[in-house]
Amino acid sequence: MSNSHLFMKTGFPRAALNNGIGRYVCQLQRVTIKFCKNNGSSRGVRDFLEHDLVNFAKENPGIVVYVKPRRHRTPALSAEYLNGEKQLLFCRNYTREEVNKWLGLLRSQVRDTSAIRLRKMWHTDNPSIQGPWTPWTFRDPAQNLVEFPDPKLFKMETEQQTATEKLLEIFKAQQEAERKRANETG
Amino acid sequence: MSSLRTCARAAIRIQKLTSVIYTGERGIKRWVAPTLRVINKRKAKLGPQPEPRRSNFLDWNYNAEIFAFNKRLSENFDVELLQQAFTHRSYVAQEEQKQREVGIENPELSIKDNTDLIVEGKCLTSEIVERYLRQALPRLPEEGILKLKDYLLSEEIVAKVSVQIGTKDIILSEDHPVRQETLVNTFFALVAALARSNDVVHTSFFVRDFLIATLSDKEILSIWTPSHPFQTLDAILNREKRGSADFRLTAQTGVNTILAAYQVAVYSDQQFLGIGTGETVQVAKNIAALDALQRMFGIADFSRPIPFNLTVDVSSQRTENLPLTKWCTENLKHTVGG
Repeated sequence: MSNSHLFMKTGFPRAALNNGIGRYVCQLQRVTIKFCKNNGSSRGVRDFLEHDLVNFAKENPGIVVYVKPRRHRTPALSAEYLNGEKQLLFCRNYTREEVNKWLGLLRSQVRDTSAIRLRKMWHTDNPSIQGPWTPWTFRDPAQNLVEFPDPKLFKMETEQQTATEKLLEIFKAQQEAERKRANETG
Repeated sequence: MSSLRTCARAAIRIQKLTSVIYTGERGIKRWVAPTLRVINKRKAKLGPQPEPRRSNFLDWNYNAEIFAFNKRLSENFDVELLQQAFTHRSYVAQEEQKQREVGIENPELSIKDNTDLIVEGKCLTSEIVERYLRQALPRLPEEGILKLKDYLLSEEIVAKVSVQIGTKDIILSEDHPVRQETLVNTFFALVAALARSNDVVHTSFFVRDFLIATLSDKEILSIWTPSHPFQTLDAILNREKRGSADFRLTAQTGVNTILAAYQVAVYSDQQFLGIGTGETVQVAKNIAALDALQRMFGIADFSRPIPFNLTVDVSSQRTENLPLTKWCTENLKHTVGG
């Protein structure tokens, strides 16, 4: 996260209105293509209008497309989503392919996704199917069969060797060495 | 000769450079910040402005919007009925008032409003929701079904659904911004309009996909909880001719501390029914009883989720789920059929 994200709206990735559980509804409800009829910066948008717009409208009958010429201003795509949000995308000097791709993005997203900072990459309303955690959630099943008092449970568990064990080991090694020496001499 | 050429190139370069230097302008536009500041000040002085009506914008085509609404939801609304469903009585009254102001004595408008559609749609939606829930949750007592229905048909939920399918901008109504009540009424009118243009089965798909599917991420117990879990559990066990509920403390830690935790399990005839954990024994017992009931009703955390692909037949005979006072496995077999 960078500083520019600090004051952004935050949220989680969510499907609007359980989209897809029932049926899929395209969340882009209308788009206004604003362009200039003679400025060079609108060239790509004009090309798009000339060649691809009719196909786009045919393929997406659920999106209302408005075309709005305005003199000597930067071309823009103004998208309105079903959740009421509006996104303005300036496309100065874009090529026809670029306009196509950006429109594809607007069509496929739920909202202006670049305007929110995702707090997590996932979200769930029911975080656990095993219920909330309790001190006994991950209890070792072997403990169910233990009979009390169990000497094992009284024993302190240590990963390192204790001093007593170390001394005993040294003592045993000494005795072994002495026995060997006695055998050799005897 | 070559030296001459390089000289010429250098001369041209110098000329270009000088032209760049003389026609250059300041990179920082010092008027921007003060202008924005003044604009902001004036905006603050004006105070909050009313939300503009989308339909008053230059780029607005009502017929195109209606067409897109139909296609967006992949529905086959009859266009006239769809327009009628969006037209509220208040809008027609407003139009008539406008004509009267112009001087027309008896304004006759050929606009139909959605008053009867709303009434019809409300009944139909309620019927579909009720039947669907009974079919999807056959083990849930009738009390729970009714509570879930009330929840789904509450103004808040229906208004949210109505906005999310894109009715807000198309509604023809006097109030602006559109009131929740109007949004809800529009949804009901849409349901009735769909039933008139197609059939009831198709309408039930519409209600299922947009309204009932909102239950998918909800916990049913948070919407409906049996009020007396102990008595209910005992009554059910009694009806099933099983031993009464036996609560056993299965684990406890931190007794006499503020972090005390107790785990209580319920058994009947040494058969496990449910388990609960709480900060006191009483709370844990309560949760264990609720857990046992949840498992019986098929709404526990790990139960199968509610199916959203069922078909409801509204014309078939009405059947009700078992009420809590009659609920037991034996009776359930009779009603659900196995």
